[in-house]
Amino acid sequence: MMAFVAYASPAARDRMGPSVRMATLIFSMLMLVLTTAMFFGSNYIEGTKDWASLTFGSFNYEFRYVWIESLGIHWSVGMDALSFPMVWLTTFLLPVTIVATWNEKNAAIYFPLVLMMGGALIGVFVALDLFMFYVFWELTLIPMFFLILKWGGYDRKYASQKFFIYTFAASVIMLLGLVTVYFLQPENLSYAGAWTGRTFDIPTLTAHAQSANAGGAWFLGESLQKILFVMLMIGFLVKLPSVPFHTWLPDAHVQAPTGGSMLLAGVMLKMGAYGMFRLPLAFFPHAAEHFQFWLMAFGMVSLVWGAIVCLGQTNLKKMVAYSSVSHMGVILIGIATMQPLGWAAALFMMFAHGIISPMLFAVCGAFKHHYHSMEIGSMRGMAKHSPWLATSMMFAWMASLGLPLLAGFVAELMMFLALWHFLSAEGWSVLWMVGPALVLALTAAYYLWSMQRTIFEGGDETQPPESLKGQRVPDIGDAEKVAMLILAAFTILFGIMPWIALDMMNGWTVAFFETLLIPILGGA
Amino acid sequence: MEQIEPFAEGFVLALAPEFVLVIGLFTLMIVPNMGNAKFRIPLTQIRVPWFFGGKRGKLDSDPRLPGLFATVFFTIAFGLTATSFVNGMVKTQIVTPSGTPMLQIDEFSRMFELIFFGALALASAASVNRLPATGRSDRSPNGLYNNRRQVDFYVLLITTGLGMAVVALAQDLFMLFIGLELASFSTYVLVSFMKESKEGTEAGMKYFIVGSVASGVGLYGLSLLYLWSGSLQFTELSAAFAANGMEPLPLIALGMLLVGFGFKVSAAPFHFAAPDAYAGATAPVAGVLATASKAMGVLGLLRILLTIASPEATDGSAVWLVALGVLSVITMTWGNLAALGSTNPKRMLAYSSVAHAGYMLAAITAIGALNWEEGHIDMSNDAALVVVTALIFHLTVLVCFKLGAFLVLSLLESEKGGHTLESLGGLAKRDPFIAVAMFIFMMSLAGVPPLSGFVSKLLVIMGIVKVALLDVTVNSDLVFGDIHWVWFLALLMVINSAISVFYYLRVGLVMYFHEPEEGREGPLPKGSPVRFAIIACLITTIFFGVGAGHLIALCEAAANALVGAW
Repeated sequence: MMAFVAYASPAARDRMGPSVRMATLIFSMLMLVLTTAMFFGSNYIEGTKDWASLTFGSFNYEFRYVWIESLGIHWSVGMDALSFPMVWLTTFLLPVTIVATWNEKNAAIYFPLVLMMGGALIGVFVALDLFMFYVFWELTLIPMFFLILKWGGYDRKYASQKFFIYTFAASVIMLLGLVTVYFLQPENLSYAGAWTGRTFDIPTLTAHAQSANAGGAWFLGESLQKILFVMLMIGFLVKLPSVPFHTWLPDAHVQAPTGGSMLLAGVMLKMGAYGMFRLPLAFFPHAAEHFQFWLMAFGMVSLVWGAIVCLGQTNLKKMVAYSSVSHMGVILIGIATMQPLGWAAALFMMFAHGIISPMLFAVCGAFKHHYHSMEIGSMRGMAKHSPWLATSMMFAWMASLGLPLLAGFVAELMMFLALWHFLSAEGWSVLWMVGPALVLALTAAYYLWSMQRTIFEGGDETQPPESLKGQRVPDIGDAEKVAMLILAAFTILFGIMPWIALDMMNGWTVAFFETLLIPILGGA
Repeated sequence: MEQIEPFAEGFVLALAPEFVLVIGLFTLMIVPNMGNAKFRIPLTQIRVPWFFGGKRGKLDSDPRLPGLFATVFFTIAFGLTATSFVNGMVKTQIVTPSGTPMLQIDEFSRMFELIFFGALALASAASVNRLPATGRSDRSPNGLYNNRRQVDFYVLLITTGLGMAVVALAQDLFMLFIGLELASFSTYVLVSFMKESKEGTEAGMKYFIVGSVASGVGLYGLSLLYLWSGSLQFTELSAAFAANGMEPLPLIALGMLLVGFGFKVSAAPFHFAAPDAYAGATAPVAGVLATASKAMGVLGLLRILLTIASPEATDGSAVWLVALGVLSVITMTWGNLAALGSTNPKRMLAYSSVAHAGYMLAAITAIGALNWEEGHIDMSNDAALVVVTALIFHLTVLVCFKLGAFLVLSLLESEKGGHTLESLGGLAKRDPFIAVAMFIFMMSLAGVPPLSGFVSKLLVIMGIVKVALLDVTVNSDLVFGDIHWVWFLALLMVINSAISVFYYLRVGLVMYFHEPEEGREGPLPKGSPVRFAIIACLITTIFFGVGAGHLIALCEAAANALVGAW
């Protein structure tokens, strides 16, 4: 059992920018090597099981340390097939982000902040104790607040505050829900605190909820379960974000610096979905079934609304932000179908979007950096003088709209299949699928059209944007090229061989359904 | 339990911290006045050196001397109080010759004394070279108040400490009031100490008048209680309340006492003097008001509400339950909303104090909601223990970050800033360490993990939720209505926390985002005692967030001493 303390986040405030930069790069690459080793580790390390065959409720690489004994709080970490892809994604994105934003100003503070952000994110995913989970959940807010505030765009003051306060408000409601659940457990479950007689330990609580939910009984009673489910979901829906709670996202994304956006869109949004899987769906499956219609509605609205608003944007980064909202809608639809295929679709979309979206934001950042403008219409015929940027942008948009052989396609296809299953099982008309499908096709058409304008149109008389004021138009720098290449490579990798990740995700969802949901909900 | 008569054997040892303060008081009065005066023996020409008076030497007349003395004595008192926890504490009572206890030394009172002495030590450290003779920002010994006026300040701080110690130890209401008044009068003068400035005198006048009225009302309530029951001893009053507490006379008396202590805690609607007082006083004094004085008020409330009018006096819920619940809701909401609009950082901190008082009142309300019938006593005892522990923990860590925030403001006051939010502008460029410290204090006040402010808020929420869920048996037939209504106090507290993040974040924003004001570009004034105090506050804020276990155990011992006595 390995002690997973790799995410000690350095907050060194050095004056020495370049050496700090290199140090953070080396450190994050070491973490990536570590997590990749963990992926293969089941073959070599004793006691770890193959990721795909972990039974529900058991974890690899567990470690536990008593923190506040009297309250039943432990420093308890471990990973299962739900959290491991997210952890790997975070450690993968950290070096990529560092490389992509290699030339950021004030490097001595920027790179440690990025690393702190990554550390807090990993903490959320590996935490197996509710207190620890909440601490890391809120810890992600502070580095992001500073990243937006100090390196962000013209309206960063408003955006950073909105982001912090909006998500904090939702999280404290979730906290109250968690504390209420804490006190509604019977005394002296395992790892219970000496003083309150209760524990914050997630696997223990999940097992208890599972047994209390057995048969047709509702854990904690029907009305209470529904209310607690709603309270917990508020925190996660705002984080995801789902329409109608999504309004913090466009501001935060547009004003955030490239690195901030890459981590925000790549990993932080997935925290919301991860939390949904870990807590409300496990503790309150009856309530989840009860609210299934609402979740599906939120998901569909997010998908459609996000895509349509995206069409109307002229600011490139805002367009990407709304496309993120739309993809999160795909995740929510996947969760709401309550089918193993749908859940696996959601998990894979979390993973795939976590690779594609940082690429999109890196492209936006390069666009802004080199052309000093974020307006889509300001650029014409980019392919002539910035072939690398043009290719990256094209590739990123293709991946985002779900081109087959790229990672996004797998997720979307699975989502549609699960949706079809769900609709026919519930007896609704399959025509409900037409809406999302048409919208996706429409956005694909729009992307193609705007890319054609920006990248290819113009032939020999390419127009550099006015914002450059007549300077020579540069192509993207070496660091950015490396980052784009790596992201593109992995997008293709997971598009062609999705089973690398999909096996363990499938394994987890099937285990979840078999052990938790089907006995409780009766094979719905 | 030992019983000691005054000035009998073991008396001084038992009250060691307080005696240290008394010695400090006399030292402060004598030492800076020692000079080279000579005393002429009558009818002769022999002059004997008699050191009181005359021309003072360089060391004596140094204006920083009284401050250093006061800090040292407060630290010694703090240390003695802390060591009394080691190896367990024997409950000791100081009794009159006829056996009535006047003071009681147990974990509960010692814990509060820790809070008082700690806050006062930090505040006096922060004032060591901060009291200006004129409004100039000159911090050299020439620029400070002269030595004798400095002595006034520190003497007042020590008498505040002594008064607070008596409040903590008191076992009957009259002793409590003596201590309360001693501390209050000292704070009235401390608030108006900057008599040359308009804000100082105005703040002092307001605080004094409102405070005196509140004390007067409280004293009247006290006298009504005496009239009704014939004694002011806590034990006898609580027995009398248990026997026939529902008569109008004791209830009116209780209400009046609530007014008196509500002012001290700055609960709405008795809080009107607080913002002006905090804004007009020097920042360390305001910090003492916000932390130690509030703790004193909470102590009084706990004594009254939990010991005298103890919840078991009535059936199933305390008589003061609804009143206190309403009060707490008004207080937290008012405090938070008013802070949103404040541009003066000290005023904002004053209103945030009001909001925190609201949270603490909500916790006390939760205790009132417990069911004390026969079969429930153990469970209710446990729940009450959790809530009181949370309260004491909250008061303790408030010293760390609230006083820390005021200390940072005191640094700004040295350059005549600290009155507007803009004077904090660009602090991150001017002094990165202080800016980080201030940001951490603000985040701790907001309740952001992993700082101690989060743990204390979490503990209070846990206490309230535990009480709300106490009567609920976990099965499949629960309905939301089974939960006691105090759960909504927790919900309101959580929502108010979210609202409060805005103004705490605003401070961070101004420090990191805005440019420094005109004339304030350089680094902040020097001052090692203040910075040392700020570092101490910073370390404890972070430490009690990450490693809160020991402090929780300590607070639990203190709470046990109070609750276990029921």
